[in-house]
Amino acid sequence: MSSHAATAEIDHHHDPTTSTGIPNKKLLMWAFLASDCMFFGVLISTHLIYRLHPPAGGLDPKAIFSPELTSFSTFILLMSSLMMALAVTAIQKGNIKSCRWSLLTTIFFGMIFLGCQVYEFEHFVHDKKMTLSNSLLGTTFYTLTGTHGCHVAIGVLWLALMYVRSFKPGPGSAQRSWFSGQIFHAATLIVMLLLALKVTLGLVHAIQVQPTLGGAMGLFMKEQFLWIGAMLLSLWGCVWFARPRGPVHFGVANAIDVESMGLYWHFVDIVWIVIFTAVYLLEYL
Amino acid sequence: MDASANTAHLIKEEQVPAAPKFLAHPTAKTGLMGWLTTVDHKKIGVLYGFFALIFFLIGGFEALLIRTQLMVPNNDVLTAQQYNTLFTMHGTTMIFLAVMPLSSAFFNFIMPLQIGARDVAFPRLNAFSLWTFVAGAIILNIGWFLPADKYGAPDGSWVGYPPITSKTYNPKHAIDFWIMGLQLLGVASIAASLNFIVTIINMRAPGMTMMRLPVFVWMTLVTSFLVILSFPAITIALVQLMMDRNFGTAFFEVSGGGMPILWQHLFWVFGHPEVYILILPAMGIISEILPTFSRKPLFGYPIVVFSGACIGFLGFAVWSHHMFTTGMGTVATAAFALATMAIAVPTGVKIFNWIGTLWGGHLMMRTPMLFALGFVWMFMMGGLSGIMHSAAPADAQQHDSYFVVAHFHYVLIGGSIFALLAGLHYWFPLMFGRKVSEGWGRLSFWTIFVGFNVTFFPMHFLGLNGMPRRTFTYDPNLGWNTANFIATMGAYLLGIGMFIYFAVLAYTYFKGEKVGRDYWDGRTLEWSLQNPPPEYNFAAIPNVHARDAWWYEKHNRAEIERERTAQAKAEEAHGGIHMPFGSIWPFVASMGLLVVAIGVTCFDSNPAPGIHAKLGLSLIGGVITFLGIYFWSLEGNEGYHLHLDKDGKPVEDHGHGH
Amino acid sequence: MSSPAHSPAHGGHDHGHDESKFQIYVQIAMLLAVITGIEIVAVYLPFAKWILVTSLVVLSAVKFLFVIFYFMHLRWDKPFCTILFFIGLVIAGGTAWALIALFQAEASLPLPT
Repeated sequence: MSSHAATAEIDHHHDPTTSTGIPNKKLLMWAFLASDCMFFGVLISTHLIYRLHPPAGGLDPKAIFSPELTSFSTFILLMSSLMMALAVTAIQKGNIKSCRWSLLTTIFFGMIFLGCQVYEFEHFVHDKKMTLSNSLLGTTFYTLTGTHGCHVAIGVLWLALMYVRSFKPGPGSAQRSWFSGQIFHAATLIVMLLLALKVTLGLVHAIQVQPTLGGAMGLFMKEQFLWIGAMLLSLWGCVWFARPRGPVHFGVANAIDVESMGLYWHFVDIVWIVIFTAVYLLEYL
Repeated sequence: MDASANTAHLIKEEQVPAAPKFLAHPTAKTGLMGWLTTVDHKKIGVLYGFFALIFFLIGGFEALLIRTQLMVPNNDVLTAQQYNTLFTMHGTTMIFLAVMPLSSAFFNFIMPLQIGARDVAFPRLNAFSLWTFVAGAIILNIGWFLPADKYGAPDGSWVGYPPITSKTYNPKHAIDFWIMGLQLLGVASIAASLNFIVTIINMRAPGMTMMRLPVFVWMTLVTSFLVILSFPAITIALVQLMMDRNFGTAFFEVSGGGMPILWQHLFWVFGHPEVYILILPAMGIISEILPTFSRKPLFGYPIVVFSGACIGFLGFAVWSHHMFTTGMGTVATAAFALATMAIAVPTGVKIFNWIGTLWGGHLMMRTPMLFALGFVWMFMMGGLSGIMHSAAPADAQQHDSYFVVAHFHYVLIGGSIFALLAGLHYWFPLMFGRKVSEGWGRLSFWTIFVGFNVTFFPMHFLGLNGMPRRTFTYDPNLGWNTANFIATMGAYLLGIGMFIYFAVLAYTYFKGEKVGRDYWDGRTLEWSLQNPPPEYNFAAIPNVHARDAWWYEKHNRAEIERERTAQAKAEEAHGGIHMPFGSIWPFVASMGLLVVAIGVTCFDSNPAPGIHAKLGLSLIGGVITFLGIYFWSLEGNEGYHLHLDKDGKPVEDHGHGH
Repeated sequence: MSSPAHSPAHGGHDHGHDESKFQIYVQIAMLLAVITGIEIVAVYLPFAKWILVTSLVVLSAVKFLFVIFYFMHLRWDKPFCTILFFIGLVIAGGTAWALIALFQAEASLPLPT
């Protein structure tokens, strides 16, 4: 824990200040993930137990699930995992720009996944009439995938904050205070992501409602005009906050934090691998 | 600085942009702020102990009310509703608010000292665990202070089986308090256990290999694994119950296709490892005390450690022995019965090793030793009744009878409590620099011992004669009168014994006889420190050469002296002793969780103030928690450095911290 | 604790193959995508149910293992990280298996209505 370690070379595979050589934060995250295995294990068990003997006349997943959508979101999450791994290797080499882009793409893919899930839930509730409380399938399905979705959302939030953190001014920077700056940057980014989600879902809705592309675009523009404007504004804000402003207080020493976050994100991905098979695919047999 | 001035040319190379004042590190070491911002594992341990002892007395008082009601047949001291609330709160309080935090007090205070560390791996996370525990304790007990018709204290028993805890049969908020209280306690416990795992694995002093760790540290490690792996099960079960109560889901609701038995399974998947969480720390304490007071090393150290790990692992495979009478089928029942019998083996092995430790030793019959010997005998008796339960056919009669009550009180009081009381006496000189008077200590022990046995031994017979648990009256013609009366008398005696014990402890804290270092001539590293230990624990991190590290040091003083001086020089060259700053943010984050819990539990969704108050307050609490965590991360963890002068007194150096 | 923005890394034990690490990650991502594709197609193939279930489970396990050993770096980290995670995984998996088995027992089946 001595401050001199930061100026020495950082070996990302061995921390000499600990008894095992594993950095404390990494060990903490692995222990937490072991605990989270049990957490999701119990949720998945609940769902599978109730699928063993479905009530007669209950909802049939085959009539409700959309394998195309789910496959797409599975693929998206896998790609986000790739981006996360690249973000970690980038910062371990001190390549901040590459790390930032990888973080942004991870966030981007994560948001697409969440968007697919929001769309899926809305579709199931409004069109397939499956709600949280009107069926056992709805109860266990929404609870399980919803909890997973919450984990993804927390991950996206963490990624966004880590991205903003990478702009903390370092010595020699002209900035005097970063406190309010980071709050605004983070808020703008999060608002932009939420607006992008809303706008995209609006676009999808418009395409589904209107048979022609022209008609759909027209409907989309009409309904979402203000939201699109706000999204573009916040997007511009994010670009503005990300302009280069001198050296930053973010580098190889922060790789452990990005790595810990990466472990969490990959774990969320492997839970989805299990859920995709156990909840979706097995129903089609 | 004037914001309009262009000072770019004045900025020194090393200057970083300023952080707002409210992010400055708190420096108070005393007073209220000192306690709220402490990250010192010793102070946090004392706080856990303080709260645990208060709740232990409350839980004991609840028990005395129960026993008063059962003193004579068809008594009317309590109504049935009050009785249900009391046995629920007695169980929940004793398990989650007394025994677990008291164990935590020792994990926090003693474990880092025993491994030669300066603190735990994540000091602020440690503080967060403590304050979240306090928040959970508040939520669990808040019902006492609110009107009983709509709120009230939880009354669904400590196991909370639906449909008794469903909205249909329990529409009051009492059960919501129970659910959210346990959720907060779960968060606190998991966070603390993650911290302890990383600390024990990663922050041992040089030379402290895993097989040189004191057994108490091993038991801390195994218990921590049990916590992180078992609490998720109850977390999910409680979420599901909450959803059934508030969102109309059918996890355990038969009318919706749900199965109440699922709750039982999920609860006991947690509940069984939980009882090992309650007993393993106690076993660890006993494994420290017996060697010290027998003047001999622990007999069979590797097998004691291995047995502890086995108990932990097997503890996940036996949960349905709490459900033998639910009709799981022959195969399942037999499988769990076998596993339960198997788990008795490592437990028995430990008992034999403790006896082996005593054998041929020079026994010093001080108060901690009396409690420890009491533990060995009483826990064994509880274990024997436990083995009787493991035979499923016999359990068919014993289940839900007073035989079970006798069993678990023997293992929990005769086991856990005796060990924790032993630990309090044992480590009191280290923690507070004073020793408890032997005479009063013995008196409290014997009163407790006799009172405890008089209370619970008759319950074996009550159970075998068919008296059911959780019933507030019994008819006079069932043959249970005498035993119940005796048990109640025993309970009062036990209460007197506990009162004496705690009164003496409190007196000793203020006015007890002061004692010097290493009062008991101990074997492990915590005894190498002055009483109470300085904030930085060790002046120089020790180099460990053998098991019972302090014993080795005492018998190799010259070698140790040389090592110590060299180590102190090395640490000084590195910048001094590195200490963490205190922080208010863990407290803020915990209080945010408290607000969330109040929002979730106190308001109805439907009639006014309605869903808006519920959501609104929960959201506000969520924001507070988020901000607490955010500023916690902004604070950084650089810490500050201490330098010791030649008398060992610290001289602070704030040069590097900001 | 300052580190200038673009300092090249001096990771002492840099395996010397950063380029191939990037390639490994991309290759594995492609592999995972391909396996996912196979899984999706598999459910529509006319094989016996037990074959399909086994294949799906195996394919998922393969994806799972690739992510934990490569993306999560367990292959190159100290073994204790792997042990720690597998403790949780084994206990969670064992509990899940036992729970599902319990509810499939004859005695646990819902009564015919």
